Amino acid sequence: MGHEMVSIDCQAAQWVERMNRPVLDSDTAADFDIWILKDPRHVESYARLLALWQSEELDAALSDKTWSLRPSNDDGDAKPRGLRGLRRMSWARVAPAAAAICMVAAICVAAPRWLEEQSEFSTGHGQTRTVVLQDGSTIRMDAETRVAARITPWSRDVELVQGEAFFDVAHERLRSFTVETGNARISVLGTAFDVDRIDKDTRVIQVYRGLVSVEAGVGRQWRLPAGSGLELVGERVRSLTRVHGERPGWMEGWLEANEMPVSQLVRKLNRISRRPVELADPALGELLVTGRFPTDDPEAVLEAIAAIHELTWRDAGGRYVLGRQG
Amino acid sequence: MLSSIKSGLPEQEPPGQDWDAIRAALRRYLRARGTSHDLIDDLAQETLARLVELQRTQQIGSMLALAFRIADNLRVDAHRRESRLITGVDEELRSDEPSLNRVLDSRRAMEVFQSCLRRMPALRREVLVRRRLNQESCRAIGADLDLSTKAVEKHITRGMIDLRRALDQAGIDLVGQD
Repeated sequence: MGHEMVSIDCQAAQWVERMNRPVLDSDTAADFDIWILKDPRHVESYARLLALWQSEELDAALSDKTWSLRPSNDDGDAKPRGLRGLRRMSWARVAPAAAAICMVAAICVAAPRWLEEQSEFSTGHGQTRTVVLQDGSTIRMDAETRVAARITPWSRDVELVQGEAFFDVAHERLRSFTVETGNARISVLGTAFDVDRIDKDTRVIQVYRGLVSVEAGVGRQWRLPAGSGLELVGERVRSLTRVHGERPGWMEGWLEANEMPVSQLVRKLNRISRRPVELADPALGELLVTGRFPTDDPEAVLEAIAAIHELTWRDAGGRYVLGRQG
Repeated sequence: MLSSIKSGLPEQEPPGQDWDAIRAALRRYLRARGTSHDLIDDLAQETLARLVELQRTQQIGSMLALAFRIADNLRVDAHRRESRLITGVDEELRSDEPSLNRVLDSRRAMEVFQSCLRRMPALRREVLVRRRLNQESCRAIGADLDLSTKAVEKHITRGMIDLRRALDQAGIDLVGQD
């Protein structure tokens, strides 16, 4: 029995190592399932060793380099590992290392498609869609939105190509989750947030749970806790504080404006509205609006904007036009 | 429970998937990772539902590897939700201040790992650091340290077993510490 357990643990350890590889062929993947199902003890041993391998404690123990100081029987004082390593390293050693790095890069680039899982999703005018990624994260897409996801065993990268999406990210200790929006990148571990790629320069990020980090070029980085947000318009930054609830309103059919320029509001409305809304004068787009509007009723939204800013709107046959009074 | 899963998944089940076996393995996995007893069924159920959803649209290499990963995520979420319900404290505050027991267990586990690593052959230690911390591939590590890939794998396997045994001997269970 003892012997048998040792051999199961050995196999389980091998599987933990294999399943943590960036590249895994489909035969190996199938073998994993066969091995797990073969004996109920297999999954238990695997789970325990995986817990060990992924533990923060192991991470900390391996990071702590005090054990690498040799017992001092050579030249008296122990030297830091890095120095010792450097001195020992000759060009003969560097060359194979460099070759190995190239090889790893090549393997990563050539990772089989099934493992990489690159997918693109899009929604049309007036549509919404929920996508569940391989890692269990969900993306809820608003209308006229395009998202490209690339999930590998070592990374989770999503690009918001167009539109707005709410991300509910599955917590993972080892793989971060990033959303690229062209001029800002958002990184998280496990949280829920909304990203709106409004136009070429404008990004609005609102955080509903957890903490995210936003990076928009060198030296421009922000950490946003739940309940806060950020509006990036080119070089201009505005922080948003009133991010309430568990998810953005558009998911329940509401358009929430938090000191939002009319131009943004109209753009959002136009993702859904059957008839497009136009501004009689582009300058009207600068006006700010706060409120909660039903997305399926553009006329009510126009009525509200008109009332707030003393404007007027008309039905111009196939489109709405928002303009000044008189 | 089993019948409810079955009736919940009409004809979406592709031939060749033994959902009962996957479910049983999932429950064992969850239990071995320290999931509280009353959550195991729910989490297994939710995981299966997501698996079914995913495999309708995607080619999946290993159903169980994916199942375990989904279950891990659900487990962490459920754990957070639970601790929030119990204490009523905001989850961020909560997760930043783990209980004293958790801290002590964690520190002890780290010490056990450290002393085990210290006793280990230096080469094996080096291999573990490179694989786990630096995420280098076995092949790259082998090329760098003049070892065959097989030998590198063997060091990792042995290393894990050594660490596992050290924990057992110290009477520490890492399970259920998320």
